Amino acid sequence: MVVVIAGACIVAAVAAFLQISLGAYDMSWHKAWSALTDPAVWQPSVLVRLLCGEGTAHALHLPDAPTLATSTLIVWNVRLPRILVGLMVGANLALSGTIFQAITRNELASPYLLGVSSGAGLAVLLGLMVYPVLGAHLPLLAMLGGSAAFLAVYAIAWHHGTSPVRLILAGVIIGAIAGSLQTMLFFLAKDLSTVQNAMSWTVGSLTGAGWEQVRMIAPWTLVSVVLGLSATRYLDVLLLGDPTASALGMNVERVRFLLAATAILAASSAVAVSGLIGFVGLIVPHIVRTSVGSAHRRLIVGCLFAGPALLTAADVLARLAFAPVQVPVGIVTGVLGGGFFLYLMRRRREFGKL
Amino acid sequence: MNHKAKPANATETGLHGDCLTVRYDRGLPVVIDGQSIAIPEGRITALIGPNGSGKSTLLKTLARQLTPETGQVVLDGRDIASLSRLQFARRVGMLFQENVAPAGLTIEDLVYHGRYGHRRLFESFTPEDRAAVEHALQMADIVHLRHRPVGRLSAGQKQLAWIAMALAQETQYLFLDEPTTFLDLAHQFDVMDLIHKLNRKLGKTVVLVVHDLNLAARYADHIFALREGRIVAYGTPPEVLTVETLRSVFDIEAHIVRDEGTGLFFCVPTGKARHTTTEL
Repeated sequence: MVVVIAGACIVAAVAAFLQISLGAYDMSWHKAWSALTDPAVWQPSVLVRLLCGEGTAHALHLPDAPTLATSTLIVWNVRLPRILVGLMVGANLALSGTIFQAITRNELASPYLLGVSSGAGLAVLLGLMVYPVLGAHLPLLAMLGGSAAFLAVYAIAWHHGTSPVRLILAGVIIGAIAGSLQTMLFFLAKDLSTVQNAMSWTVGSLTGAGWEQVRMIAPWTLVSVVLGLSATRYLDVLLLGDPTASALGMNVERVRFLLAATAILAASSAVAVSGLIGFVGLIVPHIVRTSVGSAHRRLIVGCLFAGPALLTAADVLARLAFAPVQVPVGIVTGVLGGGFFLYLMRRRREFGKL
Repeated sequence: MNHKAKPANATETGLHGDCLTVRYDRGLPVVIDGQSIAIPEGRITALIGPNGSGKSTLLKTLARQLTPETGQVVLDGRDIASLSRLQFARRVGMLFQENVAPAGLTIEDLVYHGRYGHRRLFESFTPEDRAAVEHALQMADIVHLRHRPVGRLSAGQKQLAWIAMALAQETQYLFLDEPTTFLDLAHQFDVMDLIHKLNRKLGKTVVLVVHDLNLAARYADHIFALREGRIVAYGTPPEVLTVETLRSVFDIEAHIVRDEGTGLFFCVPTGKARHTTTEL
């Protein structure tokens, strides 16, 4: 447990410092540090402006922001928010994956299994292509689409209650249908730049993530982390199987639905700011489980450290490995995560069941 | 046949099912066909019958795992459908035939899960919880195994651990669906001796489904024999386990033998019944 947390902190810290100092505008570590600790930023008016937005700053009648040095601007307006978004997206995806794996009792489950990704993706594509006016409301659209698809999955799977297998099957079917519709939209699109925009979104990318995205995801992250941490006992008991959980006094259907809703919340807020970053929600719970076991209090705490570390590290590669071209971080997690997943599968004989 | 509107009787104690009809889905045949059963308090009751006779279904209906189509199960004078899940889980515990523990879960963790119904939201374990868990571990005689993962135990030890979990639930009623089915003889005795101890020392009312007639003969105070969704015989083991009943319930010919040394009696099946009985 300590090893996981310490390791994750080190990885995240190193990744964050690489992100801050390297890039198109290279800085020495010393310069990056002084930009980060620039006293011009560390005052209430500037911090409130960054964390709560211009509107709040206006409402509080804060003085105008001072003019900042270029390096400070780059660190504080471009690189730091991207790291923060990455950390929160990583935490949300890992948390969501852990919950989905528990409620489906299947190690192959991921945040995107129960239709969340396909629904959110379809909604966003529709938004981008058919009604471009909705562009500003993409995150909301993603959440709506994800939740709608999830509810459809639940309704299809429901037959005197649900079961893990039925949920997974329904999720796969809904995913396939929505995937086909997404592809169809690509063919129908008239504008190539829209397609490219949509493509990068469906792969998942942190490029261009700023304070607006930080403000967008932070409250949802807080809510879902609190809910996730307080639900560990329910997750543990649910893993004993539906009949036993219900004999112990659990309202299995209600608990499963609420847990799923928490996982959706976490996943779709991540999707809303970064698109569909694959494999993080699948891999992180695996890695953590092999070192801390399957008790959810330890598992979730471990995931809340390992998820952010992994995603920020992957984003370093995505941003810097092919410089000056940035690839979407979803490609890095897809390639590395997929490879790692295969390695796990080959190494362990019993795989899949939780 | 519908006796739904029976008035609740607050002073009544005990568990009984009235005119229960159960099936798994509309259009499927009934599994329990309008049966009533009263569970003897403070006793060990065995449900026996051939495959598909409905004994497990009856057990699950009494334990509120299945909802009867008609009829009701009454616990302490109240229809169990009107109790909350938690209320019910503090009175009736149930152990299923097959249980799989998540990898790495220790016996102690498992037994603590038995306390689920006693805890409130966000509440951590109380001294009562700890005491109940210690007591359950001691009763099942698995204190020395408490930190071992459940998955690494023998089948018999696993079963003891699961019973300890149900025990930590601290219920008056304990329902067990074929608790000895996959065990070798020595472990069958371990499990049945534990169940016997729970009944005699703690006064728990035990209801179990068993396949092995000799275990039923040896440990049960009361036996209900089922066939095709109906209770066709009930009473003490000597009353139920007769040549005629075995023939009509199980379609087998058997000798009933009393062992002079122990005073126990045994069913020795000798073959399939010569005349298949369908009508009783």
